[in-house]
Amino acid sequence: MSDTKTPPVIKLRNLKKRFGIGDAEHFAINGIDLTIRRGEFIAIMGPSGCGKTTMMNILGLLDRSFDGDYELDGKPVKGMTRRKQARIRSQQIGFVFQSFNLIPRLNLLENVALPLIYKGITKTKRLEIASNMLRNFHLNEREYYMPHQLSGGQVQRVAIARALVNEPSIILADEPTGNLDSRASHIIMEELSNLHKRGNTIIMVTHNPRLTTYASRVITMLDGQIETDNNLAANPPSRRGRKKDSTKTKGKKK
Amino acid sequence: MRFLLINHVQNAQQSLRSSRIRSTLTMLGVTIGISSITAILALSGGANKIVGDQIDSLGGNIAVIRPGGTIDPLSNITKNQSNHDYATSTLTEADVTTVKSVPNVQMVAPLMVLSGTIRGDSTAPSGSQIVATTPSLADISNLNMREGQFLDNALKKDSVVIGNQLSINLFGTEASTGRILKLRGDDFTVVGVLKRQNNPYNYNSVDFDNAAIVSFAAGKGLNQNITQIQQINIRTDSVSNLDPTVESIQKAVSVNHKGENDFSVLTGNKISQPTSQLFVTIAGGSTAIAAISLLVGGIGIMNIMLVTVAERTREIGIRKALGASNADITWQFLIESLAISVSGGITGYIFGYIVAFTISSFLTFDPVINWQIAAVALTISLIMGTIFGLYPATRAASKDPVESLYQYN
Repeated sequence: MSDTKTPPVIKLRNLKKRFGIGDAEHFAINGIDLTIRRGEFIAIMGPSGCGKTTMMNILGLLDRSFDGDYELDGKPVKGMTRRKQARIRSQQIGFVFQSFNLIPRLNLLENVALPLIYKGITKTKRLEIASNMLRNFHLNEREYYMPHQLSGGQVQRVAIARALVNEPSIILADEPTGNLDSRASHIIMEELSNLHKRGNTIIMVTHNPRLTTYASRVITMLDGQIETDNNLAANPPSRRGRKKDSTKTKGKKK
Repeated sequence: MRFLLINHVQNAQQSLRSSRIRSTLTMLGVTIGISSITAILALSGGANKIVGDQIDSLGGNIAVIRPGGTIDPLSNITKNQSNHDYATSTLTEADVTTVKSVPNVQMVAPLMVLSGTIRGDSTAPSGSQIVATTPSLADISNLNMREGQFLDNALKKDSVVIGNQLSINLFGTEASTGRILKLRGDDFTVVGVLKRQNNPYNYNSVDFDNAAIVSFAAGKGLNQNITQIQQINIRTDSVSNLDPTVESIQKAVSVNHKGENDFSVLTGNKISQPTSQLFVTIAGGSTAIAAISLLVGGIGIMNIMLVTVAERTREIGIRKALGASNADITWQFLIESLAISVSGGITGYIFGYIVAFTISSFLTFDPVINWQIAAVALTISLIMGTIFGLYPATRAASKDPVESLYQYN
């Protein structure tokens, strides 16, 4: 699905993220170069603490303080105002979290409609769109349930519905199945896979190697750097399982 | 983006409803503050209005001389009204004579208010007053007779005109003409009974329903031949002559007083001001209560909003991830605090009127209802919500989305 002809959506060059200062200083992300094209389904693997979540936060424009270059749709992110970044989050990025992150005091419908608020859509219209979205996930009978009344798998489906309601071009999923059993996990993965087939760009962090079969490209990270980068769709591992070493730029500050 | 505001209001409603007890308790401070302000304004407005209405109904040609220099509004609030019993007046009979000789002055009626026992078949209650004045008072103050006649110069010195209620208190009937009563032990014959005025708060500071009116000379006789003039009422021959006449009165009386500024000539609304001083005193106290409860209520709002922000840190993170800008978050929490303060204000406004009408059932006038009071109540609540909600709201907006999202609570 993804080939080199499609335009790059995300372009990272020598991305670094530093935590702490002085003696305590360490790099959660230590020089990452990465190009992600439209329509890719990327699975990011790696042990805890290798910087996966930090990278997701940077990709999702939640984390503004990083070194290096990040171009989203060809535009550098660094110079953007907070307001502009908020608008991009609203219109182009959908988040799916490990801990679901629905707002507990809102019902499912209102939760799904939440991103539409910041697009300035009227209430009736919002609820209509959200209702349609929930129907796609076969949850339309539970519109007025509260999040705590559903199972984890159902809640995560609601969270995906919420991520999709703004029709974003990029979906960032941070361990979407981390809190689910394997059956629910596969349902969620099927949903993500369907989205991918419809042309969405999906970037997913996971611990579970079995889930990488859904992905078109698998990236493994270690200590803030990319260890391997396998593009399964364009070059199946049987033919060209080239291991790509991450560029090394140790401890160099910008 | 304009829908956002409506949405924030809906959101605030929803979030306040989800913690109903907490929001109600927070509102209470604002409610008490606003209700006391509303009650004060409604009642003092009513008192001012009733006196103002009287002066209007008398025509615009009434002036009043009172002892003491012109008081500025501020000391009006802090100073108590001097009591008739203890006041030593700076106005004298000579002043009355002087005023009478000023051109364009049509009528002059000095008021000398005395206290003392009034006894008929039974003793009058202590609130009853003895007023010594001249026959012109009936015309200047619009006193109408129920029966008999008002004082006139042809009557004997021991004639008295009594108020309707006083007549009932003394003799058990409104028809008491010809009966004899005792003022400070001296016998007086009732020559007339006034129509019911129902107007204890007026610019004369005399409740004529409960007063015995005697001639000026008789009053002097009751008071060891000392004159004690509390007020001189003046009517000019036309409205247009009022202002120049007031000026010439001022000059003429000033000569009597050797240039000392120990009296004031008042017209229009200024006449009604000291009359409502009872309310000014009450209002002063209630304003202090209102101010304190508003301050405490405001701090309560801020406190609760800070708690809410802390509780909803995760929600802030989620909202930011879903595309909320800092301004969106600020507005969300600001509108929530405004919702608390404004609904507290509205409740307080209603409650204030309930209080005002309850109090006024013991008084002879009604509280005023006008848009100014509603505007004051609304403005104060809006200001409070903004002042005390702004800091929690900006704090909410400045939260780091990443930290907020991964905060577990």
